[in-house]
Amino acid sequence: MLRMAIGAIGGLSHFIRPGDVVLIKPNVAFDRAPKLGATTSPDMLGALIRLVRAAGAAEVRAADNPIESPETCFAKSGIAAAARANGAQVFLPSPTSFEMLEVPGAKLIARWPFFYRPFRGVTKVIGIAPIKDHNLCSASMCTNNWYGLLGGRRNQFHQDIHNIVADLALMMRPTFVILDGSRILMKNGPTGGDLSDVVHGRTLIAATDQVAADAFGYSQLLGRKGDLPQYLHNAHARGLGEPDWRNVAMQEEQVG
Amino acid sequence: MSCGGNCGCGNGKKPAAATGSADAAFDLLNRLKSEAGTVATPSSGPPTIYFAKEPKGAHGVKAPGWLRGLRITRWRVISQAFFFAAFLFFIFTTWFSRLKGNPVSAFLEVDPLVGLATAISTHTVYRHLVWSLWLIIPTLVLGRWFCNWMCPYSTLHQFFGWLFNTRRNLDKVAINRYRSIFQLKYIILIVFIVLAAFGSLQIGLLDPICIMYRTFTTAIAPASDLAVEQAGGSAAWLFKPGSPHQRIFYGAWFVGLVILFLVGMNLVIPRFFCRVLCALGALLGVLSRFALWRIDRDVTRCTDCNLCVSHCEGASDPHTALRKSECFVCFNCIDDCPEDALSFRFMPVKKPQPVEGQLHGRPVITQILETEAPWPALSRRRLLLTGVLGVLAYPFLRLSAAVNSKAFSRKAIRPPGTVAENEFLERCIKCDQCINVCPTNVLQPATLTQGGLEGLWTPVMDMRIGFCQLNCVLCSEVCPTGAIQKISIEKKLGLGQHTADGPISVGTAFFNQGRCLPWAMETPCVVCEEVCPVSPKAIGTYDEQLKRWDGTIVLLNKPYMRPELCIGCGICEHECPVADDRAVYVTAVGETRSKDRSLLLRSRQT
Repeated sequence: MLRMAIGAIGGLSHFIRPGDVVLIKPNVAFDRAPKLGATTSPDMLGALIRLVRAAGAAEVRAADNPIESPETCFAKSGIAAAARANGAQVFLPSPTSFEMLEVPGAKLIARWPFFYRPFRGVTKVIGIAPIKDHNLCSASMCTNNWYGLLGGRRNQFHQDIHNIVADLALMMRPTFVILDGSRILMKNGPTGGDLSDVVHGRTLIAATDQVAADAFGYSQLLGRKGDLPQYLHNAHARGLGEPDWRNVAMQEEQVG
Repeated sequence: MSCGGNCGCGNGKKPAAATGSADAAFDLLNRLKSEAGTVATPSSGPPTIYFAKEPKGAHGVKAPGWLRGLRITRWRVISQAFFFAAFLFFIFTTWFSRLKGNPVSAFLEVDPLVGLATAISTHTVYRHLVWSLWLIIPTLVLGRWFCNWMCPYSTLHQFFGWLFNTRRNLDKVAINRYRSIFQLKYIILIVFIVLAAFGSLQIGLLDPICIMYRTFTTAIAPASDLAVEQAGGSAAWLFKPGSPHQRIFYGAWFVGLVILFLVGMNLVIPRFFCRVLCALGALLGVLSRFALWRIDRDVTRCTDCNLCVSHCEGASDPHTALRKSECFVCFNCIDDCPEDALSFRFMPVKKPQPVEGQLHGRPVITQILETEAPWPALSRRRLLLTGVLGVLAYPFLRLSAAVNSKAFSRKAIRPPGTVAENEFLERCIKCDQCINVCPTNVLQPATLTQGGLEGLWTPVMDMRIGFCQLNCVLCSEVCPTGAIQKISIEKKLGLGQHTADGPISVGTAFFNQGRCLPWAMETPCVVCEEVCPVSPKAIGTYDEQLKRWDGTIVLLNKPYMRPELCIGCGICEHECPVADDRAVYVTAVGETRSKDRSLLLRSRQT
């Protein structure tokens, strides 16, 4: 399924060259079991790592700066085990693994502490994010996923959430993103905590335009009516992606 | 009189008289030895073991060098190094990714003072505390071997005492004699035991194992991590890897200063803590009164050179009547004795015995002095006074408002699984193992504010530093005494068979609307709602669109609390951006461990 999704955007060999050092950014924000849908599915991450390695990547890394205790989040979400079992290296944040990152043109993070250590020597970046309900910014998907690379007093960004998420889309222009709709956190997000909050979406999106992927996920998978989250419009206004997914060349495949 | 007048027990005029006759007897003995040559001693019982540097005797063959190198004091050093390394290993593995069933609290669980005092205060023996028999039984046979063979804290003191020792031999002999101040530890022990009987467990203040764990947790491990991080060292060297922030602790400076002071005191009095303050040592001292083996001095060989005192760790006076309860069984005296007069013997003769010999051809009979002072040197009057001290100390501690349920500190937020406060004070030994294992740094050693002197260094949560992670019960896993009962995730969250009980709540979160950005400052925020980990969320929002002072339209999600759902985990307080004085904060009220501290009439009936 993952191979078909990536095939639809041109195939992995189009993105990953032999010898690439690839960083994959899953969402491991909380200390939650995979079935609760608050974190990236470890099965999906494992499959992605296998494909990337098969495409000839010299090294694959997985990194995140979770909200809860990093070690426990990586362990109990199954991400650490899935990454290591498939030959990827796991990076946990420590006090010295952050550097000041310059993001020219960003409104809020023109200079901000960034979880830099795992990025040393990296040539390709892939985001793999779950789809989650989120009260303040409506939904958390691919663009929000980069929030987990920030350090510092990042809890202030909620005062201007739609600009920070647009900034994140500017900060990280990934090789491609995977929006994992296998489990969708429909309510009580982004933490979840109850199986009744989760539905099985049976859908996987691969995209080079993360804004389009998020827009599709929001209206089609999370099933939200009405206008898209403001941050997608903000990103569009800055030329960072196309929130009207109908305008994007799209290919749909059915599995089984 | 069984004390022989040398124990300082305060038995009136006896000592002087006894000393006088002792001198006379020794005079006679020495003359017997030097002039007559042959001295017959009444020897009986199992053969004596000598740990001599070189084998002596008629054959005159030297043992090979490697064998001579492995004398018993060397074995002792190996044992000390082993147990110290084991202790470091346990501190190192007291962490989520390293725990893996390691017995990280083992030193506390074999500590007889912990076992005895909690048995007295709670009338029960929790989980692994029965392991203390592993220490009690050998102590009854061999004496205080723990003090110089196993105790990591004692190893620390001995090591620094040895490292910085610049004394000349004569001074060493002087400094390692017994002093009456060494009685203090027995006084401390008795006060602690009396307090425990009243239900206030204070042994952790001066139990060496508790001090060791506490010091490494709150001062040494964080300092080491800071150094490793700054030096760019590998995560494998960190005590607490995968922690995005340097761990910090309330009162780390004080715990650090205490260890510096106590270690520094070794320069003034060697083994100051062990000899003067150690409550565990005092207990083992009492137990070793019955020890079957002991250091025995063959007075017919002894030349009174006093070299045996020069490295005596316990200041147990091996050169005269041995203070059995002070002896650490370090064997230095046997090593130091040039005459092989000292040995470690099974039930040696204790009573004064006649010695028969010949002097100038005539038969002479004299008395061997009693060579043992079995009981700790504490007179009955002082014993009584000490008991009274303990009885008085209890109300002084317990009447402090901080530990009273009428005026308990709102910041005395105990970790999940903690028993009700009264029972908690019977159980907590302030070892701070829970604080050591806590992955978020939320557990802190209490200062005087949160629990008075009685609750000093007990675990409380500070949600500004960390938060109680939902799917975590590590603190309950490592607690050696059941102050935090061992609980499962299901029990903590009220799942499965615990559904009827509901989740464990450690407190309740409150909003300070005057400081909350959406409520008071027309500014969007609600990080608190976002991170609230329960489902459904304990924080809801009133959503309101309004025109700000500058004319812009904002959507404000004004948060409110649903108290039935709040478990007091404090992640809302931790993530609140109003950094100095959080707009949402947890206080202890509403904790489920005690009905006296509940908040809602219908607690958990949702």
